[in-house]
Amino acid sequence: MDRIFGICLALLMVVPLSAQDGNDILKKLDRNLSPESFESYRKLINIEPNGRRKEFVLFTVKKGADKVAALFLAPDSEKGRSTLRLDENMWLYIPNVGRPIRVTSMQSVVGGVFNNADILRLDYAEEYFVEKTEDLETEWLLHTKAKTNSVAYDHLRIWVDKDRILPKKIECMTEAFMLIKTIHFKEVKDFGGGIVRPSVMETDSPLHEGYKSVMIFASIAGRELKDEVFTLTFMPNMETLRK
Amino acid sequence: MKYLTCFLLIGSLFIRPANAQEDYSFDLSEIEKKAFQFGGYLEARPVFSLLDRESRFYSLIYYDSEQKKKAMECNFKALLDLSYERGIAKAQIRLNADLNHSHSDWSQDFDLYEGYLSLKPSLHFHIDIGKKRLKWGKGYAWNPVAFIDNPKNPFDPDLALEGFTVISADYIKSFSGKLRTLTLTGILIPVFKDVNSQLGRHNTLNYGGKVYSLLFDTDIDLMFLTGPGISSRYGIDFSRNITSNIEIHGEGAYRTEYSKRVVDDESALDQKKRDGCSYLLGIRYLTKSNTTFFLEYYRNGRGYTQKEMEDYYSLIDSGYDMYLMSGIEDELDLASSFTGFRTFSPAINYLFLRILQKEPFNIVYFNPSLTSICNLGDGSFSLVPELLYTPVTDLELRARAMFLVGNRGTEFGEKQNNFRLELRIRYYF
Repeated sequence: MDRIFGICLALLMVVPLSAQDGNDILKKLDRNLSPESFESYRKLINIEPNGRRKEFVLFTVKKGADKVAALFLAPDSEKGRSTLRLDENMWLYIPNVGRPIRVTSMQSVVGGVFNNADILRLDYAEEYFVEKTEDLETEWLLHTKAKTNSVAYDHLRIWVDKDRILPKKIECMTEAFMLIKTIHFKEVKDFGGGIVRPSVMETDSPLHEGYKSVMIFASIAGRELKDEVFTLTFMPNMETLRK
Repeated sequence: MKYLTCFLLIGSLFIRPANAQEDYSFDLSEIEKKAFQFGGYLEARPVFSLLDRESRFYSLIYYDSEQKKKAMECNFKALLDLSYERGIAKAQIRLNADLNHSHSDWSQDFDLYEGYLSLKPSLHFHIDIGKKRLKWGKGYAWNPVAFIDNPKNPFDPDLALEGFTVISADYIKSFSGKLRTLTLTGILIPVFKDVNSQLGRHNTLNYGGKVYSLLFDTDIDLMFLTGPGISSRYGIDFSRNITSNIEIHGEGAYRTEYSKRVVDDESALDQKKRDGCSYLLGIRYLTKSNTTFFLEYYRNGRGYTQKEMEDYYSLIDSGYDMYLMSGIEDELDLASSFTGFRTFSPAINYLFLRILQKEPFNIVYFNPSLTSICNLGDGSFSLVPELLYTPVTDLELRARAMFLVGNRGTEFGEKQNNFRLELRIRYYF
C-alpha cells in the first residue's frame, strides 16, 4: 500500500500542475511583488558595453488592475516628464511639448532595453494567462500567453521561487517564441508593510548584445489614490502627489 | 568654422570618461521634494545657409542689402523654468533669452514665455491664472484646433513658444465603463493693447471651452473659442492606439468670418471675410526594427490658392522693379505686411512624412531621422535629414540639413535660401 502511495506521489510530482493552479500562482506572485495600489521610487540604469551609464529616477503610482503613472525626477533633461497607462492606453507628457501625446507599449521613452510596457507594467495576471506549469525542484516554471495582441510580449516564461512565490527570472518572447529580453530578479529586500520582494531587476536582450538595463526599487508602499490622478489633465501635476 | 570649433570644444567639456563599475545604490535623499525648483537648458545653434538670390523672398528681405550666397549665423538660447509650490498653490515661470548673430549684426530678445498661478483645491478641480500655453490638438506637425496658441514650426514642433494671458479652470471626473474620463475646461481671454493684442479687438473679453473624454479607448476633444472682435472657432480632435505599434489621430476646425488678406489684380490689398474648414489626419507606425513612420495630411482652409500665391509673387516682382528704378519701397513694404504668406504653411494642401530610426547599429541614444513636407498644390517640398545624439546625460547634440526643392513660383522654390545646415548643442540643467 505504501509502495502504491509512493508511486502515486511520484507521479504527481512529475505531472505538470494545471493551468488553473498556474494562474493562482501568477496572481499570488503579483500580490507579493506589490499591493494593488501603491507608490514607489525606482531608478533605471542603462549600461552600455563600455560601462557608460545613464540613470533615470521615477516616482510611480498604481491603482487597481489597469491604472499606472510615473513621473521622471532625474536626469535634468527628463525631469517633469510623466507617463500614464490606462489599460492599453498610454500617454507621455513632456513639459516642453506641453500636452500629453499617445505612445504605444512597444516604444521606449528611456532608450536602451526597457520599453514603455516594462516601465508602466500592469499585473502579470492582468495581461497573461498560464498555459502550462512545470514543477521543478525549487521553482515553478509558468508558460504564459498574452490575453490580447495589444501587449508588448506574446509569451512570458516565468521561473517562480516556490518558497517566497516571487519571480527569479522572466523570459519575454515573440509570438514565434523568439527571445526579446530576459529579466533577472535579485536582492530580495523587506520594504516594510509586509512587502518583501526583489529590489533589483537586471534586464538583458539578445537584440542589444552587451547592453544591460537595471531597475532598482528604493521604496514601495501601499497608498490609496483617487481615479482622477490617472487622467491626462492631471499628468502635468503629478509632482503634487509626492510628499 | 571658428564657431564650430568653439562649440565642439564646449561640448567636449561635458563628456566624461566611461565608468565600468557596477553601482546599484539608490538613496531616497537623492530625490527629496523641494518647494522651489528650477531647471531649463542652454543652447548654441550655428547655422550655415546657401541663399537663393533669384528667389522672391530674397528680393523681399534683402532688396536693399545684397548678401553673399553663403551666410553664417549663430544663435544662443537660455530657457529657464522656475516653480514654487505651497499647499494647493503653485507658481510657475518660464523665461526665454535669445542672442543672435547674423549679417554682422547682433540681436537679442528676452521674454516671459509663461508665468501663472495654479490653484488645486481638489483632485477634481483646478484653476490657472496668468500667461500660459494652451496646446490643443493631436497633430504632430500642425494643429488646426490650437485656437489659443502661436503657430508652431512643423520642423521643430516641440520648440517652446510664448503663451497667452488667460484664466482657465478644469473639472476632471473619472468613471468606470466605456467612458473612462471626462474633463471640462473653461477659458477667459482678456484682450487689451498690451495683453493678447493679436487675439481680437482691444478691451474685450473672449471666451472658450473644451470637453475632453476618453471614450471607447479613444481620446476625443470638442472645443470652441469666440468673443467680440474675433471669428468664432469650433473644433474636434481624436487619437487612438489601434495596436501596440500603431496610433491614428485627426483634427477638424471650422472658423466663421475670418479675415484673409490677398493681393487683388491691381496689386492692392484686399481683405476678404469668409468661413473656412481646416483638418488633419495622421498615423504613427512603429515597425519591429524600431523605425517610426509619422504621416500627416493637412488641409489648411485659411491657406492661399496657387493663384493667390502667384499674385503675391507678382507684387514682390513689381515692388522690387519699382525699388530698382526709383528707390521707392512702398510696394515692398506692402508685400512685407502680408504676414500670411510668410507663415510656416501658407498654402492649402500639405503632406508631412517623418521616418525616425531609434538607436540603429546598437548605438543607444542615437536617433537619425528624415523629415519631408510637401506642398501638394505646387509639388515643391523640403527634405530634412537629422542626427540626434545624447552622448552623455543632459547633453543633446542635433545636426540637421534642410534642402528646399521647387521650381520658380512654388512655395519652397521661392524661399530665401535653398539649403541650411545647423548644429544644435543643448545642455539641460
